[in-house]
Amino acid sequence: MFARLSIAVSALTIAAVSSASAETVTLTAYSGIFQEHYTKAVIEPFMKKYPDITVQFYSMPNSAQMLGTLRAQKSSPQIDVAILDVSVAKAGTDEGLFDKVDESVSANVKDLYPNAHAEGVAGVGVTFDNLVIIYNTDQVKTAPTSWNALWDKQYEGKVIIQAAPDIQGTTFTIISNKLAGGGDYKTDVSAGIAKIGELAPGVQTWDPKPDVYAPIANGQAALGIGWNARAQIYSGTSGGKLGVALPEEGSGFQINTINLVKNAPAGEAAKKFIDYALSPEAQAAFTSEMFYAPTNSKTVIAQDALKRTAADDMDKMIDIDWLAVAKVRDGITEQWRRRIIPLSR
Amino acid sequence: MTTATFDMPVGAQKPSSTAGIAVALLLPIALVNAIGFILPVFNLARMSFNEALPGGGIAEAFTAANWTGLLQDSFYIELILNSIMVSLGITLATLLVSYPIALYLHRASGAWRTFLTVLVISPLLTSAVVRTYGWIALLAEQGPVANVIASMGFQPPRMMFNTTGVVIGLTEILMPYMILSLMAGFGRLDPKVEEAARTLGATPFRTFWRVILPLTLPGIALGCLLCFVLSISSFITPKLMGGGRVFLLATEIYDQAIVTLNWPLAATLSMLVLIIFGAALAVYSRVLRMIEG
Amino acid sequence: MMHQTIKRDGVETIGNPHLSLEGINKKYGLVEVISNLNLEVRKGELIALLGPSGCGKTTTLRMIAGLIAPSAGKIAVGGRDVTHIAPHGRDMGLVFQSYALFPHMTVAKNVAFGLEMRGLSRADIANKVAKALSMVQLEHLAERKPRELSGGQQQRVALARALVIEPSILLLDEPLSNLDAKLRDEMRTQIRDIQQQLGITTVFVTHDQVEALSMCDRIVVMKGGLIEQVGTPHEIYERPATPFVASFVGRTNRVKGKRTADGCIRIGSSMIRSATPAGQDDVVVMVRPHRIHIDWNATSTEQDETANRTAAVLSRITFIGDVIQYHFDVDGSEFIVEESTKKSQSSHRHGDKAVLSWSVEDTLVFGADQ
Repeated sequence: MFARLSIAVSALTIAAVSSASAETVTLTAYSGIFQEHYTKAVIEPFMKKYPDITVQFYSMPNSAQMLGTLRAQKSSPQIDVAILDVSVAKAGTDEGLFDKVDESVSANVKDLYPNAHAEGVAGVGVTFDNLVIIYNTDQVKTAPTSWNALWDKQYEGKVIIQAAPDIQGTTFTIISNKLAGGGDYKTDVSAGIAKIGELAPGVQTWDPKPDVYAPIANGQAALGIGWNARAQIYSGTSGGKLGVALPEEGSGFQINTINLVKNAPAGEAAKKFIDYALSPEAQAAFTSEMFYAPTNSKTVIAQDALKRTAADDMDKMIDIDWLAVAKVRDGITEQWRRRIIPLSR
Repeated sequence: MTTATFDMPVGAQKPSSTAGIAVALLLPIALVNAIGFILPVFNLARMSFNEALPGGGIAEAFTAANWTGLLQDSFYIELILNSIMVSLGITLATLLVSYPIALYLHRASGAWRTFLTVLVISPLLTSAVVRTYGWIALLAEQGPVANVIASMGFQPPRMMFNTTGVVIGLTEILMPYMILSLMAGFGRLDPKVEEAARTLGATPFRTFWRVILPLTLPGIALGCLLCFVLSISSFITPKLMGGGRVFLLATEIYDQAIVTLNWPLAATLSMLVLIIFGAALAVYSRVLRMIEG
Repeated sequence: MMHQTIKRDGVETIGNPHLSLEGINKKYGLVEVISNLNLEVRKGELIALLGPSGCGKTTTLRMIAGLIAPSAGKIAVGGRDVTHIAPHGRDMGLVFQSYALFPHMTVAKNVAFGLEMRGLSRADIANKVAKALSMVQLEHLAERKPRELSGGQQQRVALARALVIEPSILLLDEPLSNLDAKLRDEMRTQIRDIQQQLGITTVFVTHDQVEALSMCDRIVVMKGGLIEQVGTPHEIYERPATPFVASFVGRTNRVKGKRTADGCIRIGSSMIRSATPAGQDDVVVMVRPHRIHIDWNATSTEQDETANRTAAVLSRITFIGDVIQYHFDVDGSEFIVEESTKKSQSSHRHGDKAVLSWSVEDTLVFGADQ
């Protein structure tokens, strides 16, 4: 009986080893439309280019859950590559979950924009996204040009904002702080908080569900803030009901980083995938597909796609140091809860 | 060993063997409970003493900082009290709307009763998410409820994305649980006893107050315990209907665990919910003893 | 104490009844469960509604109590029309078959309930409760909960609770059916004693003819929502108006017969006489088993003016304890005869011949289609 069992065990081991040698790279990243478009623009071309490597997309609704999964698998990782938000990547790096992505992993690293590198984060930026105003084109006839449109009295009760601690809320605080003429957001955002406080009574919900895009597309709300890439996609799928505007005052970037999991089972194959994901070829494809701005400076993008990203307005962008923000984020959240949300009750 | 058993009188073997069977039967559920419940709770308790680093990191530590910080922070004190008050409010509202239905069902008989019971339970076949979206549609600014209120000449109040919405939504969602608990506790309510009260000169109201209500207290206690526990731990409806304005323990645990990544704080809040459950259970058993005593 | 004990003379004019039911009709949907029921009860009278289950006796009682409304007709108490009065305004004490005590209250609280509803002072209530409990000999159990009492004790609490409010009418719904036989005998006496002592008008629902016969002033025999007969226990027993009453109250032999030209009745080969004239050609003859005399030695079956005689063959003997039943075959019909048992064992055997004789007075004759 023991003999038979050991045969079974070795058979299983062989199966496991052989499947590993067929080179599967497990990637964790956002579910939903991100998965759909990333698979089409990056993963499928990659697998065509490297027929020996299969990329498995292990989707998660948000960065925090990816971090949670990586934590749970720390002793025996099942995931090789993780695409997640830069501040969550910092936490993962601090906990020793990731290996450094440098030029030894990918030659493309040297071509990345400077803000694709963050101090103390093992991974590097793979997509840039930015906050935009989104609006229902039936209710808002002319495209807003300024963030101040949100404070317009005629949209009272029709504005939806995803509050802090979500990074939409955090980013909005930093933008509002600049609008209100406040100082360095790393030390004091009280001017921005006060400005959002004025907006608070007219806010319909601070926690739009299922996301900020659907209620605006279906007319439940008129105006809100959202991420450019997703807004561009929903603008198309909603048949133009959802409008996207990048205000003239500029915006702030959100950075997704690509990270190599420490002791990743796929080894070299994982590095190959990261290299590809950072290549101008993949970057251009994903930008045309989903309108995330590229992080590789060598990327060449068609003009019409480029117009729908913030890549043309780099100079207007607030340079947000997300690692500094991570340190003050709890304070910002607390101010939202004490000085903004109560004003809207 | 076998010889020793032969010497033993037959009767003496029996208790030990039945005890053995009992242990064998209890073992699987005990194991499942240990792995699926007790172990995670211990992990959670341990996590609540770790140190949270900015940006979502966790440092292994043994500090009471999460606990003391929580209990010194006026925001969290308010949040805890608010959670308890809102849950009590929901429990009371659920009781008030469910009681007449449960009483009617208790008195109904035959196929009619079966039909009505199925009708009462049927909402449980639909997920709370779907039902909550239903309420969002009903209570929307231009929704049917607002239109009815407006047509009566009143300014419709805001009924969604605030505490009112959460209370309305959860009350409806918890009604089947309350009705079933009430019916389960209505066993002592014999219609003959009500008739006895009537013939002894009690008006319908006094019959209710002096006889029906006291006899249904066990059901009320059970339903209230269940609904309180379900409402304080419910997350979906407050999240969908609260509009980010209603801060409750369950939604806060989600935010801390998933958005802020402050797992130690989330664990501390979870332990606090567990403590509130324990308190609710203690109150329940006390009330039950009072009723039965 | 509660009602002045009034001397019951039994001849109070029925023209001034304490409780009257006039033309009561009760329908559930299309089903008529009570049809045109008329009944008058004298003050202080104990009247039984007797019948098999489903005869409408409990429905009638519940209509008197106001727990269900009649579909038509009028109910009056002491001349006051109470047909449309809610139960709590009717001033009646009802004792349920299941006692229906309040399980969450002590015995004393149960008894006090009706008084509290009437707004009496605490002192009055305590006083009356104590008296009522002593009347049913339960003072020592005042602080117990109903579940801690035996069936008989619960029954007495229910009685005390119904009586303490000094109702104008006491309604008893099969109050003894849940008790064991010995306790039932005791309670029969006790209820009758209390009823006599208080002189309270009482309606007693039962399916047990012994209870009805032994306790009540008058009996209303019901069947299928109709009154079969109203009368004193003696009248009901001795002069049953219908074959149903005859067979439901007391035991009886039932034999088919045919009227002959001379007014006699032919049963098999025997000719018998009856004091009651037969209205039809096909008749049913009924004789109570203990009214039949067995003559083991006689051979003559000669009839005379006062007695019927017939030859019979013993087919079976059943020993019941205080009586012994002889089953006879009379021309293919079975006759049961009951005799008191004696110390010595019966020496008769299956196949023994005898002559049965009974009085013409005891011969009840009904039309066969009745």
